[in-house]
Amino acid sequence: MRRQRHGLPMRIAVVLGTALLVINGTFPLVWMMLTSLKDENELIRIPITYWPEAITFQNYVQVFDQLPFARFMLNSAVVSISATIICVLIAALAGYALGRLNMPYRRALLTGIVMTSMFPALVLLVPLYRMFLGMDVPLLSPLVAFLHDLGMTFMPTEVRTPNLLNTYWALIIPYVALSLPIATLILTSFFQLIPRDLESAALVDGCTRVEALFKVIAPVSAPGVVTAAIIIFVNSWNEFLLALTFNTAQSMRTVPVGITMYQGEFAFPWATISAAITVGVLPLVALILLFQQKIIAGLTAGGVKG
Amino acid sequence: MSAGAPYLRKEGLALALSPATSAYRRPGLWRRLRSGNPTEAQLGLILLIPAALVLALVMFWPIAQVLWQSLHFERLNVPARGRPFIGLEHYQRMLWGSDMTWDVRHLLGWRLLAFAGAAGLWWGAARGVARWRTALVWTVVALLVAGLWMGYHPGEAGRWNDARFWNAFSITLLITVASVVGSFLVGLPLALLANVESRWRWLVRIALLIPWAMPRVLVGVMFAWLFNYTNGVVNDLLGRVGIAGPLWLSRADPAIWAANITIVWATSAFVGLILLAGLQSIDESLYEAAMVDGASRLQRFWAITLPLLRPSIAVALIFRTLTAIQTFDIPFAMTQGGPGRALETLGIYVSNTTNSLNLGYAAALAVALFVMSLAITVLYLRWIYAED
Repeated sequence: MRRQRHGLPMRIAVVLGTALLVINGTFPLVWMMLTSLKDENELIRIPITYWPEAITFQNYVQVFDQLPFARFMLNSAVVSISATIICVLIAALAGYALGRLNMPYRRALLTGIVMTSMFPALVLLVPLYRMFLGMDVPLLSPLVAFLHDLGMTFMPTEVRTPNLLNTYWALIIPYVALSLPIATLILTSFFQLIPRDLESAALVDGCTRVEALFKVIAPVSAPGVVTAAIIIFVNSWNEFLLALTFNTAQSMRTVPVGITMYQGEFAFPWATISAAITVGVLPLVALILLFQQKIIAGLTAGGVKG
Repeated sequence: MSAGAPYLRKEGLALALSPATSAYRRPGLWRRLRSGNPTEAQLGLILLIPAALVLALVMFWPIAQVLWQSLHFERLNVPARGRPFIGLEHYQRMLWGSDMTWDVRHLLGWRLLAFAGAAGLWWGAARGVARWRTALVWTVVALLVAGLWMGYHPGEAGRWNDARFWNAFSITLLITVASVVGSFLVGLPLALLANVESRWRWLVRIALLIPWAMPRVLVGVMFAWLFNYTNGVVNDLLGRVGIAGPLWLSRADPAIWAANITIVWATSAFVGLILLAGLQSIDESLYEAAMVDGASRLQRFWAITLPLLRPSIAVALIFRTLTAIQTFDIPFAMTQGGPGRALETLGIYVSNTTNSLNLGYAAALAVALFVMSLAITVLYLRWIYAED
């Protein structure tokens, strides 16, 4: 499309620039992979080696030996996939309402939802910790206590939420909330692209509006849902602060938190850490390789309209 | 009331009660839902309920709690003191320090002058020289300044402020400015390059997506290794061109720049992606028209690309600034906020305060962070809407 006839110097500049761009984007990760293939002694040698002299997979064995890294991967997978499914469902409903239906205050509602993505997750740290520790349910708890005092002794004196710390829910719930604004934005813009005629045809054929939603709109919106799902998944897989604070038991750590646990008090086992990073970002790299165009479409839909 | 009113009212009542007319009423919400055919607005509201519930429970309720909590003393390691209400004391400590005393005699002359000014304003308002509302607002301001600020002076220790808060504030500010500017300086060329049609476009896309998709903590860990003094690749490359690389992560100044470079690497790709979308939405014919008019490449960039890219730039700017204010992961992973407190951003300060179990003060710090993001969002939004 944009293919004007460039002069030779321009073409060389573009090729060089592109090469630089690719190196810039991939070099740190490639360097980690190279590091993970060297043995500990080679790492502390000066001058440093670029290509590993003797390729060893010992570090990868170390990763799984020192800490239950497979468990970390499982935890991350469970949390991220659950959060993705729940968040996509909720965001799809909201996106359909905001993107397709004639609603009063549609734009204001969308702006409001998107604005919540600007809340720092850090602010949520302490109150969510309290909430997950277990707390009196507002409104319900005083009511029950009041009834208890009135003589209905079969009523409990308070209603407490369960302690969710060190469970998957402690992460799934905030991850759903943190990704909800961006997912809603993406899905809203996708629903806006689906032609209205498609739905009207179904309505004319005697479908109710709810039936039309499930039979006509749901299949067509699959690409948008996939895009939103990937972005939610990546967000959830990468989250660090909440996972560090809420799930402190070894067996409930997620991958980003787990990797920071390899470093000792003074020593940095760089070979092991780099091997762990390489394994830990594999799912992300796989997603990028498979869905690069979809991810970019989703990110820019989220960005340009926001 | 006119003479015909009772008659009209009677008829209106009869209309409302007659069975014949109730058939003309639109079916209510419940009936429409039961029949599976709600109106669009009703269906929309119902579909929004789950999202509203989640946001209310996990976003708005906690934020309200943080606001409330910041007005209370609470240290989990001093359980005996409980959770008393202390008003704005935390904010006072944050902005002015904890060893402050309030004293009527402090700066008495200036305070008398402020009171005289307020009295003058009211005199003016009474005489019709100034507006009442202006007079009211300025009086409140003058009284607050005169009463609160001018009455405070350093206490026994002679300390004026929470040095740690202002240290964290200035580091956050420095990182915000440097990394936002840096990510645009890197991100714009990335977007321009990625917009060129070529066989290698898929590779370019991957190179743009990898920094975006990497967990920020792991980016920090990775770059800590790249910036390692003896075995890091950065110092090795610098050594090859004859520059002695600094002790990146154990001296304050290089550490800030190492962190900034890392943040720029991690975020410029996102800026590039947003700008790329903006570039692709620019109408090709504009460039052709400019070519016909004989505009040079640079002129086309300044006259077409940059102005039309403005919305994308604004969006990327907002997102980048907000994430930069909340910077936590990368400095935390690189040096845990060290050396000393050289990389202790506001985010790390909040987290450290939480870990030392001073929940009340941590909440106040979090509110400060929140207010900063809110202020910047509002500022940017006003700027964008003013452009429209």
